[in-house]
Amino acid sequence: MTNPTIELDGLEVQLGGRTILHGLTGVLKSRAIGLLGPNGAGKSTLINTLLGFHSPSKGSARVLGLNSHNDGKALRALVGYMPENDAFISKMSGVRFVRYMAEISGLPAEQAMERAHEAFVYVGLGEARYRPVGTYSLGMKQLAKLAQAIAHGPQLLILDEPTNGMDPPARKRLIELIREIREASDICLLLSSHLLRDVEETCDEVLILRNGKIASICNLVEERRANRKFLELETIGAEPSFTTSLESLGCECAVFANGRIKVVMPDSVEIREVFKVAADRGVQIRRMNHRRDSLEDIFLNAMEQTGAADGRI
Amino acid sequence: MAVYKRRYNSYGGSLTPQWSRFFVLTRYAFADLFKSRFFVLLLILSIIPCLFFAGYIFIANNKTIQLLMQVRSADLLSVETKYFIVIMMVQTQAAFLLNCWVGPVLISGDLTNGALPLFLSRPFSRADYVLGKLAVLGLLLSAVTWIPCLLLFSLQSGLARNGWIWSHLWMVVPIIFCSAIWILMLSLISLAVSAWVKLRIVATGVIFISFFIPAGLGEMFNAIMGTYWGQLLNFSYMFRLILAKGFREESGLLGSVDWIGVPVWAAWGVLIAVCVLSLFILNVRLRARETVRG
Repeated sequence: MTNPTIELDGLEVQLGGRTILHGLTGVLKSRAIGLLGPNGAGKSTLINTLLGFHSPSKGSARVLGLNSHNDGKALRALVGYMPENDAFISKMSGVRFVRYMAEISGLPAEQAMERAHEAFVYVGLGEARYRPVGTYSLGMKQLAKLAQAIAHGPQLLILDEPTNGMDPPARKRLIELIREIREASDICLLLSSHLLRDVEETCDEVLILRNGKIASICNLVEERRANRKFLELETIGAEPSFTTSLESLGCECAVFANGRIKVVMPDSVEIREVFKVAADRGVQIRRMNHRRDSLEDIFLNAMEQTGAADGRI
Repeated sequence: MAVYKRRYNSYGGSLTPQWSRFFVLTRYAFADLFKSRFFVLLLILSIIPCLFFAGYIFIANNKTIQLLMQVRSADLLSVETKYFIVIMMVQTQAAFLLNCWVGPVLISGDLTNGALPLFLSRPFSRADYVLGKLAVLGLLLSAVTWIPCLLLFSLQSGLARNGWIWSHLWMVVPIIFCSAIWILMLSLISLAVSAWVKLRIVATGVIFISFFIPAGLGEMFNAIMGTYWGQLLNFSYMFRLILAKGFREESGLLGSVDWIGVPVWAAWGVLIAVCVLSLFILNVRLRARETVRG
């Protein structure tokens, strides 16, 4: 049985005399986990705690089965980390910088050099690899940080706000890269971002934090699957017999004005059966939408629910 | 992850031993240092006095050259304990200058652009980081202190003959031991100041004045209070005390060591306290994340 990617057991972290994370408890099993929350929610503190930079004052966190506090070195051997802020050695050439980091991770010099070149070409900075990192644009620095995080072949890639400061094409390219990395290997991913779209496009599971507490843990794969079973129809000529026929298939229907019908389908029913019933009854389906309970809805719901508890967002 | 394939692959090859990884820092630091012409010039200048010392030893042991130069043996300072103390004092000052330049170069580049979390997010501890940087300074400062000093000792042993080496062999211990404490103190001060100040040029200046301003304050304290304990703030003087004691130089060293004043144990205490304080600063400043209190 494989270990969950992240297990939090009453994790509490205090920094500078303030409690930043309040007894987080939860298990995240997916390979790609998104970390969401407003500013000051504790996302970066959680990442730093998982990396062993901060010690828990209570409880524990386990990453890939290893305790973040007690097994720090063993855990960090499995991790590639792309920090949120600037993190580079400005006078070093890009490829030398990545090679340096790979060697510190334990790769022998030759392999480190080879992997550094490969990582640089892979992230799309092949042409710029001999330039000092200090001369790179913001987007290039982000890609260089990604290259150093993947060069040593980690099992878990932790990306803290990876698309910060990137223009839309560069952001799109980076998100594509992250998805490629996820799909091309068995690497796990923990991505923290303010941008819901980044998380939605790359992650299977999302942990939403608010004021240092877990607002929600949501499995996006299951959510997407559930969404596929919820239809909104706009019809012309729909008689009550149409909904009766759908109900006889096991669907639940709610009829609204102007021919609008909401349908919840059981797992056994496919959409084409709805079309078949409509054709048999002479009903025109003018528009069909899957209900899309987007990550934004999930996020806002989580914020509202926890906001109600303490009265502020 | 071959370049031509352009797809990500995990790494399944061999890894270097954990204990040896601090040496990666040392290797890269040396490679970077030797790219700097100023550093190479400084290193050469630091070693040049040893050539003069070697030449002097050669002349002091060669009657023919003395005759040619019309110099009498009695006029020359004999190559004995005092001579090696002078060598040590000159070379440790050269080490100080070298350290002022090199120390900040090692640390500032990592800290100014926030690279430290990248080091510490790997199986690499803060102790490994400090050890890697200390090794650079340790090797470099050794190359201008005890190593040339031992070479000069060997040269004198070879030229003097008559069992000189056996009667002076004990000097090897203070040469190495005194150099080691000086190198350790210089290295820790320079790393601590660089970690604290971050900006290279400023750090160089702060390291430089950290030896002179406390010494000046100590002198002021002595003048006002009519005591000698202010000397404790003069780190170079404390080192000279230890050096003179190590070389069994009881009569004072070139008139500058006052044996009635600060005891040697106090000198040791000061140097150790400076090392501990530097380690404390390094412990506070070298963190992957800074904690804002309040």
